Amino acid sequence: MKKVSLIVSILVMFSMLLAACAPAAEQPAAQQPAADQPAAEQPAVEQPAAEQPAAQPPASGKTVLNVWSFTNEIMTMAIAFEKSHPDVDVVYTMIPMTNGEYQTKLMATLGTADVPDVVALEASFVKSYVESDFLADLGELLPYAQEMEVYPFVTDVGTHEGVIKAYAYQATPGALFYRRSLAKEYFGTDDPEEMQKILDDMDKYLAAAAVVKEKSGGNTYMVASNGDFMNLFYANRDQPWVVDDTLTVDPMVNKMVETVKAFRDNGYEARATQWQEGWFAGMNDTLTDAAGSPKKIFSYFLPTWGLPYVLAPNATSADGSSTTVGDWGVITGPLPYQWGGTWLGVMKDSKKMDLAKEFIRFCTLDEENLTNWATGVYTNEYLKAIDPSVPEGQSQAAGDFVGSQVVVKKITSSFDDSEMSAFLGGQNSYGGFAEAAPNVSARLFQGSDDAIQRALNDPLNSYLEGTITLDEMWSLWKDAVRNEFPELIIP
Amino acid sequence: MVHNKTRRINHGYLFVAPFIIGFLLFGLYPVYNTLSLSFTDTTLMKADASFIGLKNFDRLFHDKTFVTAITNTWELWIMNFIPQIGIAMLLAVWFTDVRLKIKAGGIWRMLFYMPNLLMPAAIAALYFSLFSYYGPVNQFMVRSGFIPEAIDFLRNKEITRAIVVFIQWWMWYGQTTILLMAAMTSISISLYEAAVIDGAGSLKMFRYITLPLIKPVLIYVLVTSLVGGMQMFDIPMLLTDGRGSPANAILTNNIMMYMRFRSSQGHIGAASTIGVMVFIMTTFVALLIFYLLREKHDDFSGKKI
Repeated sequence: MKKVSLIVSILVMFSMLLAACAPAAEQPAAQQPAADQPAAEQPAVEQPAAEQPAAQPPASGKTVLNVWSFTNEIMTMAIAFEKSHPDVDVVYTMIPMTNGEYQTKLMATLGTADVPDVVALEASFVKSYVESDFLADLGELLPYAQEMEVYPFVTDVGTHEGVIKAYAYQATPGALFYRRSLAKEYFGTDDPEEMQKILDDMDKYLAAAAVVKEKSGGNTYMVASNGDFMNLFYANRDQPWVVDDTLTVDPMVNKMVETVKAFRDNGYEARATQWQEGWFAGMNDTLTDAAGSPKKIFSYFLPTWGLPYVLAPNATSADGSSTTVGDWGVITGPLPYQWGGTWLGVMKDSKKMDLAKEFIRFCTLDEENLTNWATGVYTNEYLKAIDPSVPEGQSQAAGDFVGSQVVVKKITSSFDDSEMSAFLGGQNSYGGFAEAAPNVSARLFQGSDDAIQRALNDPLNSYLEGTITLDEMWSLWKDAVRNEFPELIIP
Repeated sequence: MVHNKTRRINHGYLFVAPFIIGFLLFGLYPVYNTLSLSFTDTTLMKADASFIGLKNFDRLFHDKTFVTAITNTWELWIMNFIPQIGIAMLLAVWFTDVRLKIKAGGIWRMLFYMPNLLMPAAIAALYFSLFSYYGPVNQFMVRSGFIPEAIDFLRNKEITRAIVVFIQWWMWYGQTTILLMAAMTSISISLYEAAVIDGAGSLKMFRYITLPLIKPVLIYVLVTSLVGGMQMFDIPMLLTDGRGSPANAILTNNIMMYMRFRSSQGHIGAASTIGVMVFIMTTFVALLIFYLLREKHDDFSGKKI
């Protein structure tokens, strides 16, 4: 009996050891941070999907290249890369960034051995990485960029103090999408050139909003959300947010606050929040106010990727009863701007520097790849022919606006009869973006931009709601910025 | 024999040794690490870190947002906890009362506890879409005439706070009820019978028999709820934009800590500072609770201390 009790007590001891090693026991009212969840006001990119571990286990004998991204877009290019480089195995990790998981996880690998070779960097955090010491110098690819005539604003973002560290395969100029039928009704025309004249600057846009409200009896809003305006004004500042370590508020920001206040007070804006139900409902005409009366939205400010990824999928309501397909037009709008975009960079600590740089060159500066990417050559069948383990649905539809002017000029005419052009009532979508692109500037981008701009969202909305005054809004915003950047001098 | 006694005592130490070692490694070391991090300016984006002494704390105390965070956390916890304990106590008394004899007690317990099993993320998303400007609550209230036009509920500070408090209460009252029920069933019925014979009413029985005898469990509930409340994070984080909007109404300590951690700099030195402050606050108040609710032993000379 003594032996049995001895064995039992040893087993209990070990189980206690395991219990001690387990995370702290659940306590009443104790909470643990939850995992991923949708619904945020970030410029969320494309399809949210669950986190997936590395796509394929490395095959023997092949060189492994670790690529991290926050969507499955680049996986398509990775597979195309494997076609032309059969001795390379790209291990692809996708982590969504809906609530910042991607940024947090990437930051956690910096300086460790787990750092990936190639990283995808979205516009909201690309500059802070470019400004840091963690990316490798990709200056040797510059001749290719010049050969491809990459849009200046694309390379500007990837450059810091003269050193270029990130390239992008897509350019994301912003545009204004308007409803053709409503334009005909209120302005007598739906022709893009005429509409551009009517909406050529912000003062004209405001005047047009009054017209829309009056002629629709208050049932059509010019714009769905005040969030639509933000990128517009931020991209047209003269000064960056941080000058000599001091927070500076450019007059354009003040103008934005005045504009959104005017739109809210006059009822030109539907009070929806971007990326929420109301914002999407306006795209397919199922928007109703609380009392049930239907409302319409005249225009949306969306960038190039907004067309295939946001507007087109949401233009038909879930039950198919209401659709606005074919009823949209695209113009540059009152102000040129830029929104989002994905850049690719190489981590300095990567052990496969040459291969990583070749991967970047292939993805962002290779004419054939960019052409195939933009014209929809990378169908699921094409990718499966290279690698049978490719998941269903992995493909790249035509229409992504690439960053090389050479390629853009070459393929614009091929979009005359595309699905996206049909969506725009016959207007060539690519041509519309190509017109908007040259005027975009990204000189003023800084790594701290996203945090500073994001900190303004909540105080601004409270101000529009009327619960705080303008001075309180600025004060709240400055407090939030101070919280985020303790070293910053805030007047 | 002394020899046997010491051997048995040693067995006791050996028995708990694995747990203590595990706790020291995985529980105590992180606390020490956080404390040491709070004295540096470590960030995730910088490769080097230097010791900056109390500068982080200095900045923290001059930050108005920190004061907001502390008051918010305390308010949200207290507003949630008082109804929680009140209703849990009431339910526990009813369900353990011998005279009431409520049937299907097991099913009721399960129903009370179910909200606790739901994922906070799902609940937050649900309430977020319920109360959005174009959401069902607005539609219902406008169409049935309760309010003239839609209200942006989640832009209103008080309403958002109320929603957070309600969700917290709803999620945790079941657990508290069950704990109190367990404590109350362990009180011997003969005490109540004696009290009934002496002519005590239910209120007197509750105050003089039930409450003192469940004091250990009450302390447990208070302290664990305090710890959890001080670290309230998931619901306020997920209900709105993760920054405590509207206007910092539901900004809690842990949200502020997380905001610093996931800022573009990844400022873990500054984030650890908040962690240290939460630790100090929680320890102080927990010790206060222990002191106030300690067992007061009667002096045998008849005086009560």
